[in-house]
Amino acid sequence: MRIARYVPYLVGAAVAATFPLFSGAYLEQVAGATLIYLTLALSWDMLLRSGQLGFGTAGFFGLGSYAAVLLFLNVGVQPFVSIIFGGIVAGVVALLLGLAVLRLRGMYFAITTLALAGIFAVVLRNFPSLTGGAEGKMLPSCIFSGDTANVYWLILVVAVMTIVISEVFERTRIHVALTSIRNDERVAKSSGVNVFKYLVFVFAVTSAIQGIAGGVYAHVFGFVSPEGSFSANFLLLPLAMALLGGIHSTWGPVIGALVLGALSEYLKLQIPYGHLLVYGAIIVVVILFLPQGLSGAARAWRGRSHAARGAR
Amino acid sequence: MRLLRRLRRGQVLLLLVSLGVLVLMMLWKPYALIEGLQRGGLYALIALPMALILGVVGIINLAHGEFMMLGAYFAYWLGVYTGLDPLVAMIPALVAFALLGAATYLLTIRRALKAPELNQLLLTFGVAMVGAEFANLMWTSQPLKPHLSYVYSSMTLGKLRFGAYAFVYTVSAIVLLVLLSLFLRRTRLGRAALAVGQNPRGAKLVGIDINRTYLAIFSLSIALVGAIGAMFLTRNSVFPSAGSPYTMKSFCLIALAGIGNLPSVVWGGFGLGIAEALVLSFRGYGGWADVVFFAVLVAVILGRSYRRQTA
Repeated sequence: MRIARYVPYLVGAAVAATFPLFSGAYLEQVAGATLIYLTLALSWDMLLRSGQLGFGTAGFFGLGSYAAVLLFLNVGVQPFVSIIFGGIVAGVVALLLGLAVLRLRGMYFAITTLALAGIFAVVLRNFPSLTGGAEGKMLPSCIFSGDTANVYWLILVVAVMTIVISEVFERTRIHVALTSIRNDERVAKSSGVNVFKYLVFVFAVTSAIQGIAGGVYAHVFGFVSPEGSFSANFLLLPLAMALLGGIHSTWGPVIGALVLGALSEYLKLQIPYGHLLVYGAIIVVVILFLPQGLSGAARAWRGRSHAARGAR
Repeated sequence: MRLLRRLRRGQVLLLLVSLGVLVLMMLWKPYALIEGLQRGGLYALIALPMALILGVVGIINLAHGEFMMLGAYFAYWLGVYTGLDPLVAMIPALVAFALLGAATYLLTIRRALKAPELNQLLLTFGVAMVGAEFANLMWTSQPLKPHLSYVYSSMTLGKLRFGAYAFVYTVSAIVLLVLLSLFLRRTRLGRAALAVGQNPRGAKLVGIDINRTYLAIFSLSIALVGAIGAMFLTRNSVFPSAGSPYTMKSFCLIALAGIGNLPSVVWGGFGLGIAEALVLSFRGYGGWADVVFFAVLVAVILGRSYRRQTA
């Protein structure tokens, strides 16, 4: 019985790891993009578990992209080193900004982080000699010379690492601390939780993950630009995915990302301009009618059938 | 009592300092001052309806700028099909956007009034995305702008020669502030709105229909911002992402002013407009102007939170 519980995870892991063996370059690319968004969706949710709604996903993603590309071009390190450097830069910037911004709550925090993508883009655009200004920078060649199977495995490693970090957060005392902050910050504080320290820590870790995702993305597509790297897509899509799947959990955002990642390719082919309309609509509909997302709805449904069986 | 006197003294000091800055600016960079008052007028004008919703309904409408953008599209296409001037199109826009606002309220906002604040933020963010992507789907991302000759009118004052038309934003912001203040103090609905904004439960107890007040204020605000979009179009081009910066800037002004304080939104708008124009007037540093709002916002909010901690 206990082994049976792990079967779905094992099957999922096996399929994910061997995916390139039975699919073509196109599917690998779709899966890679989906996993990037999955990473962003999960990292966004990890901060949300503390009750702080951050809109800074696109900002730290772009920051990581730029940091990785600029280190790679100017110092000439390995791509992997530059990707990790991108994550470190995003994490350190988040740590320093967090010391100030995390004193804000609710809408003030949300909107200040929403502004970050714009501010980072402005700052980077204003140093054209280093960052290429409004045009951005091109890489001489993409990572793995564009081999989609290797790219897929690289992104998979990042996504799995994020899932592991998220599970660690869920299963240690961090989970208790964050949940208590979310439920009632004053009670958390008076129970001895160092609220500010935990928030800064989570903000820095999730931003570093977003920075790493940005570094990978920049190396896969071979360029950075203020408009492309800080695009609102890197905020909108992860939000829609996490909300659809169900927030405050690891597997909700994962499920949401897989569902919407597959759907997005179909939509892109059907509606080339403005297919993001669907994501906005998903956010609205989920908030209004399905606030716990798909996983919450499934849990409720299972609970009801359990109760029905119990009654019989 | 002593607190009141100290507050007054602080206000007098603030007034003197801002007057001093104005005189200095007039001597040093008169064009930046003029440009700043025009810009600031537009910012204040757009922020006022958002301040109304936040003060009364208590919801931050992240789709505010998108409604402004849709208003500009409305005026543009009305102009293309009927030849109506955008400034005249403000009247049909007022009606159309009152209906759009009412529909948005009934379909979405009303259902989220009791939800946690984060859900409301996410909801209006989703509405904003729907608005922007709807424009993208219908009219692509091509910027559109009608040709109007009167916006290039200029005037001469002493040795200065500058565009006069954009002062329409400055004047409109002050007119709208006066009208809204009169509305909130003198009319039945306005007083009800103030009461609901202060304490919804208390307002309900004295017999105010909260739901209808929310609906009226939300529709009024969206109607205003739709009409302002038509006015926006006379000087700016419209494209799907034209609205979102104004959502941010409006929020900055409201956060600076404090929720429910309409006059300070306008003065703050002028102040930050002048600050932006000043940054823009330095050759080679103009790109930094976009950061001014947020630098000031973060500084003010942090200053307040520190003062609260030490007090």
